[in-house]
Amino acid sequence: MVRFKNRYVLCEVVSEDPRCRQCIEERAVGLAVRDAIGRVHGDYGLACCSISFTVKYLNAYTGTVLLRCRKDSYRLLCSALPFVRQLESRAQRYPCFLNTLHIGGTIRTCQKFLIQYNRRQLLMLLQNCTNEEERQCIQKSLLSCSITEEQSHSGDEEDDDGTETD
Amino acid sequence: MAGFADLNLPQGLDKKSLQSLLEAAAHLGYSAVALNHVVDFKEKKQEIVKPVSPSELFPSLPIVQGTSKRIKVLTRLTLIVSDPSHCNLLRSTSANIRLYDIIAVFPKTEKLFHIACTTLDVDLVCINVTEKLPFYFRRPPVNMAIDRGIYFELLYTHAIKDSTMRRYTISNAISLMQICKGKNIVISSAAERPLELRGPYDVANLGLLFGLSESEAKAAVSTNCRATMLHGETRKSACGVVYTVKKPRKVEEEEATLPACKKAKTQA
Repeated sequence: MVRFKNRYVLCEVVSEDPRCRQCIEERAVGLAVRDAIGRVHGDYGLACCSISFTVKYLNAYTGTVLLRCRKDSYRLLCSALPFVRQLESRAQRYPCFLNTLHIGGTIRTCQKFLIQYNRRQLLMLLQNCTNEEERQCIQKSLLSCSITEEQSHSGDEEDDDGTETD
Repeated sequence: MAGFADLNLPQGLDKKSLQSLLEAAAHLGYSAVALNHVVDFKEKKQEIVKPVSPSELFPSLPIVQGTSKRIKVLTRLTLIVSDPSHCNLLRSTSANIRLYDIIAVFPKTEKLFHIACTTLDVDLVCINVTEKLPFYFRRPPVNMAIDRGIYFELLYTHAIKDSTMRRYTISNAISLMQICKGKNIVISSAAERPLELRGPYDVANLGLLFGLSESEAKAAVSTNCRATMLHGETRKSACGVVYTVKKPRKVEEEEATLPACKKAKTQA
């Protein structure tokens, strides 16, 4: 079958500064990753990786980013991801790093992994909960996360209490 | 599969930043870390102090993401040697050295590299990444080190910070790979702040840049680290690692039940 095969890389933006969350947007992350590839692999690497490179999904509350690239050049992309040191947007730069969570061939596999991962994160948040109200909120979100059949976005099913302890 | 470990976290920091480093490492998925105490012999009269016990420093260790166990903290000593007389410290039966879990040596000359690989009683040999290597690796000492179970350590934090260091790191790493064929490599950070740490899968991808194959790179972060920790344990104990646990046996139960062969006969 003739079809272009892609690889979807699921990452998490980890940063110490809470204001960095506002700065997470598609353009900023895309530029930062391209810049890192250019620094590490040079012009050839940058050209190879940017054939089908986009930021497919972004969640600013949890810092989750889903990148897409061609299957032939995903190694160049993955080996350059540790070199991302900061995100820049609107003339502000925040130091951060990207943590690779999962590499999948389709968006659906990455979505399944992300749901499991978020469920585990919610469980850990539940352990550190101090307030009864927060506890009930988290328990409700835990029970309601699953893949529903009709979906407009990818990965938008579970409620995310983004205002909780980070 | 063995858990991921990061064997080099510098220790000369205050308690709070160490705690945040540990929490970042646990969040990223590392099951074990080692606090590194560096001793440089260029300054005179360096005393080897007793290792600080991790249970005193950190009252509560964070839980590793993805498992339900707490992160394991080991102690490690790195000796920077530039003169053969410094190695006598390792041979002497000083009590303080025995207390460290992992011992590493950082040789600065070709002769010391040879001595470290063949005769010294260490677990790790650090490879310089911040400057061009003054000597070339040769096959005999490297093969002897692989036979003895000594691992070579590469640091990656300098590569992330600076572009010239990146070139030195990659060139030194690739020249090591060409001699040792990718065996016995451990990649670790020397991260002083939580932002300089990288997750284990990212570090394995960095191993690809250094010329390792994918399975070797993953092993460099997991199985080889566990082997180093076990090597350190065998060095601390006498010859090998055998744990015996005495299980209390209930004597009354044994007398009441018939032995199995008699039971089968009476039932059949």
